[in-house]
Amino acid sequence: MFLLDAPVTAKRQVARDMFVIAMDAPEIATSVRAGQFVNLGWSPGPLLRRPFSVYRVDHGRIEIVLKAVGDGTAQLLAMRVGDRLSCVGPLGHGFDLMSGLRSVVLISGGLGVAPMPLAAREAKSLGMRVTWVHGARTRDELCSEAEGSDVIWATDDGSKGFAGTAVAAAPDADLVLACGPNRMLSAVAGRWPEALVAVETYMGCGTGVCLGCAVPLRGGGYDRACKEGPVYRAADIDWASLPSDLAYAVTP
Amino acid sequence: MSVVVGGMRLRGPVLAASGTFGYGTEVPLLERRALGGMVSKGIFLRPRKGTAPPRIAETPSGMLNAIGLQGPGVEGLIRDYTPQWAGWDFPVFVNINGESVSEYRELAGRLDGVPGVAGFEINISCPNVEQGGLYFGNDPRAAAAVTEAVRKRTRLPVWVKLTPMVSDIGVIARAVEAAGADALCAVNTFVGMSIDLNAYKPRLSFRTGGLSGPAIRPLAVHLAHQAARAVRIPVIGIGGITRAEDALEFLVAGCAAVQVGTATFVNPRAIAEVHDGIADFLRAKGFTSLAELPRYLPRD
Repeated sequence: MFLLDAPVTAKRQVARDMFVIAMDAPEIATSVRAGQFVNLGWSPGPLLRRPFSVYRVDHGRIEIVLKAVGDGTAQLLAMRVGDRLSCVGPLGHGFDLMSGLRSVVLISGGLGVAPMPLAAREAKSLGMRVTWVHGARTRDELCSEAEGSDVIWATDDGSKGFAGTAVAAAPDADLVLACGPNRMLSAVAGRWPEALVAVETYMGCGTGVCLGCAVPLRGGGYDRACKEGPVYRAADIDWASLPSDLAYAVTP
Repeated sequence: MSVVVGGMRLRGPVLAASGTFGYGTEVPLLERRALGGMVSKGIFLRPRKGTAPPRIAETPSGMLNAIGLQGPGVEGLIRDYTPQWAGWDFPVFVNINGESVSEYRELAGRLDGVPGVAGFEINISCPNVEQGGLYFGNDPRAAAAVTEAVRKRTRLPVWVKLTPMVSDIGVIARAVEAAGADALCAVNTFVGMSIDLNAYKPRLSFRTGGLSGPAIRPLAVHLAHQAARAVRIPVIGIGGITRAEDALEFLVAGCAAVQVGTATFVNPRAIAEVHDGIADFLRAKGFTSLAELPRYLPRD
């Protein structure tokens, strides 16, 4: 885990209201695994840091993907190249990709694209065939960047690709990885109990001490999205007790 | 920079507050050299699973939390954490919690003498189940009864963490001083509520939560000052400290030491920065020790 002063190096738009911000964070760029996150702070800014999955990594830079869902993310989106972020990471437990599998399906809903480019890269390096199923409400909310041997688009309104949810559009595979609103992940758990899913919670410290990011487990009790998570085996989560309506959550 | 608090010498005046530092094993970044001591996450006799999410909500310059004192229970604490504490170069105080006087007594008895346990911080902001759920900390007799029960079970330092949700903190402060407390910690979080305007209900599943962070600092400075004026034992100031200047406000207002809490969530170096900043301030003002810092503590 590193605490870095990370200058913003670039910003680009990838869908309606959805942006990618790149920053210099060499130590994190070389050590982050798919599904791990960074906790960003800035000054003047909100009291608490904001957690983001690492989206892509390139030459000492990391990228995050975000929408302005509240005051904090709106401030972050107003940052310019050269502005400095305080970056803690890499944090959490990412996707454990076992070798020896032939195929993987990545299912993302809305901002759930965030951990997928790194997951696709790790899966490809293990020799897996990667299919990425990309879902959003409408065509212009679909992230324009995707990679994989196959890409399947799904929109609720049928304006692009499959008309329906990403979960319904997805084929079976040896391994399923998913990220998106908790409601979507709950549907993933119903179809593929062994899927690995990255959940969304509010987070306080991001380092395991505040216990604010509790994830209810099917076996009873809670653990921490920031430490044991944010990636879980879908069947291990008590989906009925995990809030699906976080104030900033994007509906699928 | 060393200070004596309730008969114990601490190497510095800045401690880590309960619930913001886990059991001291979680945050590798923290610069432990600056720690005067640590107060562990609050513990009950038995394991507790904690409250349902959402457990936290950010508010202007603050955060609400309702974690529900999730924890492994005293036996888990002794098994998994106290052996590590025994090797550390700063003292670890255990924040103890109970639903009855006898639970506090039993906890203190179980932990007294366990290597690694340097003392106790009694959290009296718990409902007294045997007395209709009235909070121990709101009732001078109940607060004193808990303090006395712990006092009789240990010769280690006993600190009492006061709740701000009282009409006169001096009354409670004097009651626990008379019951044998070695020091007071002032103050715990303020009870607050925030509403989700999309769901038309509280943002926390528990409805209310404890408010911490810079939002409460002036309130906490005032209450710590009032407590310090009411008693002879030392007061440890807590509430929204993020920088050395914040800590110095508590110290000038009559506190012997401070605890830093929520700030460590944001800045893993907060404790070291507060500690070093106090030293810089003293040097810049020409003081050779913290004891020379002028205090504003009129006794009426």
